[in-house]
Amino acid sequence: MVASKSPSGRATRGRFHHAANRGLRLDGSRAGLILVSPALVVVLLLLIIPIGEAFYYSMTNWNGITAHWVGPKTYVTVFSDPTFWRVLENNALMLIAVPATMFCGVVLAALLHVRVRGWRIFRGAIIIPTAVSWVVLGVVGHQAFAQKGLINGGLSAIGLGALRLDWLASPLGAIAAVGITFVYSLVGINTLIFVTGMSTIDPAIYEAARLDGARWGRTFFQLTLPLLQRYLLFAFVVTAISAFSAVFSLIYTMTGGGPNFGTTTIEFFIYQKAFGTGSFGEGALLGIVLFAILFGLTLIQFRLTRGET
Amino acid sequence: MSSNMRASTPLTTHTAAGGLRSVLLRPSRIVVFLALGLAAAALMYPFAFMILTSFRSKAQYLGGSGFAIVSWGILFHGVPVVREMFNSFLLCIASIFVILMIAAPAGFSLAKTSFPGKRLVFIGIVGSMLIPLQSYIIPEYVNFARVHLINTYLGAILVYVAIGTPFSVFLMTTYFRGIPDELVDAGLCDGLKHLGVFRRIAFPLATPAIATLIVLRFIPVWNDFLVGLLFLQEPANRPFTVGLGVLASSQLVNVPALMAGSLLSTIPAAITYVAFQRYLVAGLTLGSVQ
Repeated sequence: MVASKSPSGRATRGRFHHAANRGLRLDGSRAGLILVSPALVVVLLLLIIPIGEAFYYSMTNWNGITAHWVGPKTYVTVFSDPTFWRVLENNALMLIAVPATMFCGVVLAALLHVRVRGWRIFRGAIIIPTAVSWVVLGVVGHQAFAQKGLINGGLSAIGLGALRLDWLASPLGAIAAVGITFVYSLVGINTLIFVTGMSTIDPAIYEAARLDGARWGRTFFQLTLPLLQRYLLFAFVVTAISAFSAVFSLIYTMTGGGPNFGTTTIEFFIYQKAFGTGSFGEGALLGIVLFAILFGLTLIQFRLTRGET
Repeated sequence: MSSNMRASTPLTTHTAAGGLRSVLLRPSRIVVFLALGLAAAALMYPFAFMILTSFRSKAQYLGGSGFAIVSWGILFHGVPVVREMFNSFLLCIASIFVILMIAAPAGFSLAKTSFPGKRLVFIGIVGSMLIPLQSYIIPEYVNFARVHLINTYLGAILVYVAIGTPFSVFLMTTYFRGIPDELVDAGLCDGLKHLGVFRRIAFPLATPAIATLIVLRFIPVWNDFLVGLLFLQEPANRPFTVGLGVLASSQLVNVPALMAGSLLSTIPAAITYVAFQRYLVAGLTLGSVQ
């Protein structure tokens, strides 16, 4: 949208340039600066300077009050710490939840798109979990996955008692529990994105497919999914970024990062390092690593979307 | 591709409300209905759990039968719920107000005026969207501690404003770009200055974008935990979510009271989500998919 609007915008501005006198144009320039300056000050003081500080402090042994310069070798120290790789592994495991969430979202969106009676009510029910805060999800999730919790109770009730598992007691079970809760939370927003995407598809295309005698499955895989490409990519980036940088409070209330670092993802690790053990420098460094990862993800999305147009 | 689709639209009548509808036969519609019902029930199940459990005493919860209102009383006596709810609302309203006051003018400036370095300013502000909170929260915390902003509403509000500004400026810029330049020119010809055009013409026209912005910012601030945990540590000024987190990690956890609190905390955000879905999607997909 931004790209498509700018040529016409430039043309109008050119016309305006001819018509208006010099005084007006200067006023526009000064007014523009005045209007943008509060936002600029906020971004500079509260985002750009702090991220610069984080970068500087990442190469020191900062404890929040004093900092001694150590140099880039702080990165070597962190990268050779097995716990760091353990934490990244947890992040990788969390990434499995991303396609799972998208899959559920596509399926639910396709079902909603049929527009059966009462579909709006179903849409509401599907979207509500997204509104629940991670704190509440963590609190409820902790109860649900406990040994005598909802999940195990449900398994027993449907005769699958053999599958009962003390989820939160083992690292793998705990990260699976966090992952399932993550899917639960983000399925709504994914569905909403795909519903929006599907509603942009012209019904005439489906009409044509029907006249050609195409079955539902074929229509879905050969028409709907390819036309949703951009929405799929967008949902992937939104969901993946959430998996990396939005589940702190879920982990805090559900597992506390354990057992044995089993659910400590990088964002939780940052908090632990800085505010748990007072290693502000190392926390800042991990923050820079997180920034780099998310920057890379966004860059991929940007490349893919621009490459198409 | 989209222009192709649009071109073909006038050739057919809009009989099919939903695309896949026409392809499906009647029995399959029943299957779809059942599948949706099942999914909705599964997604609603935790809410049923919260509601049922909150209306049980601790003993009834452990025993699995009976109902009582006692846990709601425990919640309100054990935690300053009213105070914390007030704090949460205050933080939401104040931070959204400040974001609006800086993002709307910035959006107008970036869309409708020209000044040296505008492109750089746009990239700087909007690009900051990519910086995750955890990457700058440590220096931010230390800086705020230096100027005694920890445990003040102002400190937390500033962090919420910092988190929300880049996207909000992007949203407002995109919206103002859609307003015809002729309107701005007309205002200028009528003797208004650019500031006047913004105040009298552009800002009133931006109501839909402002509504989107309010909805999109309300939920993350209402549901925030990390900022509250670090910047508002006292029971008197902490938001509701932090109170819940503290309640959950206390030694003697009262699950029914905790569920009552969880339910209470969810209601405002859930209502906002369901009532304003369309703003949500409009804002979320803005510029990223079109």
